[in-house]
Order: sequence, then C-alpha cells, then structure tokens
Amino acid sequence: MVPENFKESGFMYAIALAVVVFVIAQSVFFIVKSWKRAKELGIKKETLKNTAVSSAVFTVAPAISILATVIVLANALGIVLPWIRLTVIGNLAYETTAAQTALDFWGGSLKNAVTDPQQFSTIAWAMTVGSIAPLILLPFLCKKLQNKIGDVVNKSEKSKKLGDAISAAAFIGIISAFLAREINGNTVTSVEKTDALGNVVLNADGAVEKVKMITGSAGAISILTLISAMVFMVILTFICKRFKLDKLEPFTMPLAMFGAMGMAILLTNVLPESVSGFYWYDIGTIVG
Amino acid sequence: MQKNYFDKVHRWGIIWNIGALIMLLCIPVAISVHVNAWPEGAALLQVMPKLMALYWVTAVIEVITYVPMLGAGGTYLSFVTGNISNLKLPCGLTAMENAKVRANTEEGEVISTIAIGVSSIVTTVIIAVGVLVFSPILPKITGGAFKPAFDQVLPALFGALAAGYFAKHWKLIFAPVIAGVVVLFFSPSMGAGTLMFVTIVAAVLGAFVMYKKNWL
Repeated sequence: MVPENFKESGFMYAIALAVVVFVIAQSVFFIVKSWKRAKELGIKKETLKNTAVSSAVFTVAPAISILATVIVLANALGIVLPWIRLTVIGNLAYETTAAQTALDFWGGSLKNAVTDPQQFSTIAWAMTVGSIAPLILLPFLCKKLQNKIGDVVNKSEKSKKLGDAISAAAFIGIISAFLAREINGNTVTSVEKTDALGNVVLNADGAVEKVKMITGSAGAISILTLISAMVFMVILTFICKRFKLDKLEPFTMPLAMFGAMGMAILLTNVLPESVSGFYWYDIGTIVG
Repeated sequence: MQKNYFDKVHRWGIIWNIGALIMLLCIPVAISVHVNAWPEGAALLQVMPKLMALYWVTAVIEVITYVPMLGAGGTYLSFVTGNISNLKLPCGLTAMENAKVRANTEEGEVISTIAIGVSSIVTTVIIAVGVLVFSPILPKITGGAFKPAFDQVLPALFGALAAGYFAKHWKLIFAPVIAGVVVLFFSPSMGAGTLMFVTIVAAVLGAFVMYKKNWL
C-alpha cells in the first residue's frame, strides 16, 4: 500500500533528518579534530574563531540560493527529495538533469508534479547513482594526489619564489574560470519543444520532443556586480588597514558580497532596461 | 609529525566517506520500499549510461582539480556535502587567505577544514530550517524584490574573492581570464568545473613564463 502523499510523508522526512544528522556529525567531527590540531600547531584561538564566524557569515547568501533551488524542484518532486539531494553531494544543475533524464524515459517533464511512485523511485536512483562517483574515487585518489602535490610544492620550495607563484597561479586559475563565465558565459538547458501556438511537440514515439535553449547569460548586470564586489572588497580592505580594524578584516569578504548583491538590486531598478536587461546571448534562443 | 596528522585525516576521511556512500545508497532503497515500487529496469538501462558518461567523467576532473585546493579534511567533507565550486571551495580559499596560511601545509589543512566544516553545518541548517519553516514564503524572498540579488550571488562571491588575490598577484590574472573568455567564445555554455582545467593550466604556464623572464 503506497502512502497517499508518498513524496512528503513522515518516512521521507525521517530519511531527510537522518541525512542532516549524518552531515552535521561528520562536520563536527572534522572541526573538533582540526581545532585540536590547530592548537597544537600554535594557531591563535582568535584566528580559529574568526575562521569559523566569517565562514558562517560567508555561507548565508549562497545557502539561501541553494534553498531556493530546493523549492524549484519541489514542484515536481515534493520538498523532501530535493532537500535530501541538495544536502548530500547535490547541486541544482546535476539534480535537475538527472531527474529530467529519468523522466524523459516516460516523456514526462519536471514542470509537472511526479505522481507515479515508480517514476519517483527511478528518479531517486538516477540522482543517487549518477552522483556517487566522487565518493568511490576519493578513497583511492585523495591521499595519492595530496602526496604528489606535497612533493611538487616541497621541490618547488627549493626555489621558493617559483613555488609561491605557481601556488598563487593555481588559485587564480580557479577563480578565473568563474570570472570568465560571468563575463562571457551562458547557461543552456534542455526544454520542451513547442509549436507556434505554444503546444508541446511530440516525436514519432509519442514522447515530448526536447530542444536546447539558452536560459541564462552573462551581461551588463553580472559584469557590474562583479566589478562592484571587487570595488567593495578593495574599499573595505583599505578601511580595515587604515583604521587598524583587525576584527572587521575576516568579514570583508562576506560584506563585499552582500554589498555587491545590494548593488545588483539597485542597478536593476535604476538603470534603463536596455542596459540592465542587456545580455551577450539572447535568452530563449534555441541552440541545438 | 606532519605526515602522521595527514595520515590520520585520510583514515578518518575514508571511514566517513564509506559511511556516506552506504547512507546514500540506502536512500533510494528506502524510498523504493516506502513507495512499494522499484525502478523500471529498462528506464535505468537507458538513463544511467547517459548520466554516468556525463557525471562520472566530470567527477574525475573535479577530484583532480579540487583535492589540491581543499586539503584532505576539506575534500572529504566537501564531496559529501556538495556545492563545492559555488560555496565550499571559495569558503576554504577565503579562510586560508584571511588566516595567512598556505594550502598543502598543516596550517592550511586545519583552517580549510574548519571553514568547510562550519560552512557545511550552516548550509545544512539553513536548508533544513528553510524547508521546514520558510518554504511557503521563500519564493517571495528570492523571487520578489530580492531576485536581482540572488540571481547575482556567483559574480558577487567571486568578484569579492578575486579582488583579494588580484591585488597581490595582478600580473598573474591576464593569462587565465583571457584564456577562459576566449574558450567561452567557442563554447559559451562550458561549465566552470571543466573550464577550470583550461584556466589553471593557463595561469600556471603564465606564472612559469613570467618567472623565467624575471617579470614576477
């Protein structure tokens, strides 16, 4: 007998809470071990406290964004499965693709609520099996990779300047990928094909036909937000140094982030729509 | 001494990692039992190869890219809780920058792990409280007047993160940013996880050339 509201039953909530407990337990375990080791290494208690508090503040806005993606998926899958999936490993792009790929088998869409238990169960399997690869790889790769990196760094320290430059370059390489995407990237999503009247087009097998469409793009606001964040960060860092505000220093990064998000609201409302709505790639264009 | 601590972290990490794997696989099993329906074999046979080709290959790239940056403890935590590129990685990098410690040192290891651990707890709590308490009103917060702000979380986050590094190492930024933008001209929808491979190689090569030419 399948429970009527199987997607949001007490059992589903119990699974979600078990996952939450696991994630928090693992995090607390590693924090406690690292904190103890940090004390042995002579790292100041204040540095550790600042690390914890600034990381917590830094996390708030991105976490609310992740929460919003849970709500996006809730329409089709109920609130609990997306909650579970975005608490462990998941991210919106992956979970949406996995769920939609599973639904494609039946010609279904995430726009509609999934009501068939077998489809729901297949989606849960697809989301899980597709995403577990890192957990299988890490026990074999993590230690080896770190030892190799350690060797490279230690060798490079014979010429410390080169070691430092390469280390900084690797960090900058990561950040640059995100900057480049905000300057010139777009997001392509698989969507249902519709005819001129807006009706869904079916293929020869009777399944809904899919096309790839640009659903997001870098443009004026993303670049201005990026620049605002940099300017806020430079100003806040200058203020901290000029007035010796050591306690404020760990919070410059989250403050700059919130400031830039505020600027995004301001600019969207103040700039003419021809500027604020300017994107490099036309949203809604079919690309394949 | 340093080696011993890293060995311990790897041992703890592998144990938690296996626990997470078992827990994760129990979720669809429990759901299938709960809804009294197991996945249709034909559906899984059609769906899984597509997803595994896409995400298992990406997983290899992500592990190789992120492990050197996150530290051992941070890696084991991040790969369980997810949202690495948009949250855990910048969080760990910022914490190490603020504490003035380097990745791949024991100091960097503990600071990165504390930052990522705290970030994981805060994210988990915000999502849980949000789902249990705020889910009816959340679309009004993220979709209403604040929508432009939440649409721009990533440029705000990476702009702020970049400013700190770029101020110190401005000569190193040109090669990777130009390489990234050029690659996106040809493949604008390439995800940051894959693009990172290109930009890291460009940044490291650029640094090496500048070092050789005494420009640094």
